[in-house]
Amino acid sequence: MYVQEMVEETALPDRPERKKKLGVIYWICVGWIALNLLAAIFANFLPIENPFNQNYAVVNAGPSLHHLFGTDDLGRDIFSRVVYGSRVSIEAGLGAIAIGFAVGAPLGMLAAYRRGKFDSMLTTFMYIFLAFPAIIATIAILSFWTPRSLLKIIIVIGVASIPLVYRVIRTATLNVATKDYVVAAKVQGATDRRIMVKELLPNVAPIGVSFLLIGIATVVVLEGSLAFLGLSVNPPTPSWGNMINEARTILQVNPWLAIFPSLAMCLFLLSLNFIGDRLRSHFEVTESKL
Amino acid sequence: MTTFDTASGPLPAVGGVSFDLNQNETLGIVGESGSGKTVLSRTIMGLQQRQNVTVTGSVLLNGFEVVGASEEEKRKIWGLEVAMIFQDPMTSLNPVMRIGKQIDEILRVRLGMDRQAAKARAIELLELVGIPSPKDRYRVFPGELSGGMRQRVVIATALAGSPKLLMADEPTTGLDVTIQAQILNLLEEIKAKMEMSVVLVTHDLGVVATRTSRVIVMYAGRIVEIGTTRDVFAHHRMPYTRALLEGSPKVSNPSHTRLKAIPGRPPNLLNLSQGCSFAPRCSFATDRCRQDRPELESTGTPGHSFACWNPLPETRRASA
Repeated sequence: MYVQEMVEETALPDRPERKKKLGVIYWICVGWIALNLLAAIFANFLPIENPFNQNYAVVNAGPSLHHLFGTDDLGRDIFSRVVYGSRVSIEAGLGAIAIGFAVGAPLGMLAAYRRGKFDSMLTTFMYIFLAFPAIIATIAILSFWTPRSLLKIIIVIGVASIPLVYRVIRTATLNVATKDYVVAAKVQGATDRRIMVKELLPNVAPIGVSFLLIGIATVVVLEGSLAFLGLSVNPPTPSWGNMINEARTILQVNPWLAIFPSLAMCLFLLSLNFIGDRLRSHFEVTESKL
Repeated sequence: MTTFDTASGPLPAVGGVSFDLNQNETLGIVGESGSGKTVLSRTIMGLQQRQNVTVTGSVLLNGFEVVGASEEEKRKIWGLEVAMIFQDPMTSLNPVMRIGKQIDEILRVRLGMDRQAAKARAIELLELVGIPSPKDRYRVFPGELSGGMRQRVVIATALAGSPKLLMADEPTTGLDVTIQAQILNLLEEIKAKMEMSVVLVTHDLGVVATRTSRVIVMYAGRIVEIGTTRDVFAHHRMPYTRALLEGSPKVSNPSHTRLKAIPGRPPNLLNLSQGCSFAPRCSFATDRCRQDRPELESTGTPGHSFACWNPLPETRRASA
């Protein structure tokens, strides 16, 4: 009787609970990114000063209640400029990676699934592309392609990221495409398109997502470097990179102008990388359990 | 004939294989690792047509010529005429799709069933392959099932299109011995219920012995003996078949009997000798074996043939 009960109990589908413990730090990072995104989107509605307002009465002031992060050499509020500056970084990051994924991911999947000539030609082409030092190429193109705008930066970085995305997605797909369940779907008569969408995509997606986050972080750094070199958006539009650049000359007088945008960028990148890394290992563990 | 183009030249993986499969028949294909069993079964399925593979000859499935058919043409028979189950149930189910959905697919897409009907049929199939409480299992992910259960699900997906031929490529190799028997019995049961033919590819003679009506013994990509299971087991003429049989454990043997391993390894298919491929490992080999390749010849019993110059003596048959 007792045994019978136990058997019945285990026979019934008490689905093993999948505990997705990602940790506190992970959620803090997610929260921070969310906060950044919200601030960037709703900057116009926030009770902060106009980032372009110059106030010569308070120039190069340190942090105070009135100016949380202090003011720059033109008396503009640094806090407000950091918030508005995040727009450039976030837009560049999202935009460029979107281009990279829109082109690189489908090509990578297709190449890995089809193999053959299509794959070898495309991969060779991408690797040649990849062998090009991306930063130097980006700088070269952007210095000639004037007038500069955020859109142009997004396009240039986005195109440069295509081979990177291609390589990651292709490798991940290769791994999946050789699994028996793909062959099984094929001998069930599934069309290639169906196999790509239903079998390959969901299994490649986890790797894609974590690479996406780390990719955004990389682009934010790249945009920052470009801005530091004066190749990003034109002043007075603030961006984290060009604020640091402006601070360069007055570092001894006003270190705050360098510290706050750097800190903002640093925390943003740290959070993105941590989330990406965490997700990757999380999916890896889940996969090995299967 | 299936040839792989490798970096070191063409590799004839399977050649000179010819056999018929009758309806409702279970055919066993046995041989060591690397004897071409899997290549043969993939060739039959039409899965072997890739850039670096050349397939010649003819594979007729119920009148459909597989060799040379385009993917699109094959897609019509895949799933509905022929289905396949794979060696490793751990990798033959999509880990991120609920198992019910994996069975549904073919029902909805190929048979045009609506969502409700497909679900009902999928649950029926799960029940057929012996999954307890199939209604609830419909929604689980493969990761929540054991290997044996997964193989049952794999079988259910293969059966969904009611195929006339089921290719089972080492369906039990990845499973525990106790589960192996269950799965094999299940296959047999289903075969009878669904009136289909089964090709059972395995290296385990024990698997073949009781569950097949005919057996093909393969070596180095060729058939070396073919016949009814009874003939092959009891009256085999090819020394390789005997060597295989001696290499598998028997319950009737006294305990601690040493199994006879076949000395040496299967030949490198890239430079096969002109003679019999088994000659280097065969204790009966003569000069003739090393120079001429024996062709299949009949034993006199209908359907039983072997390829050997120095066959084992004919054993007395029980009155036919």
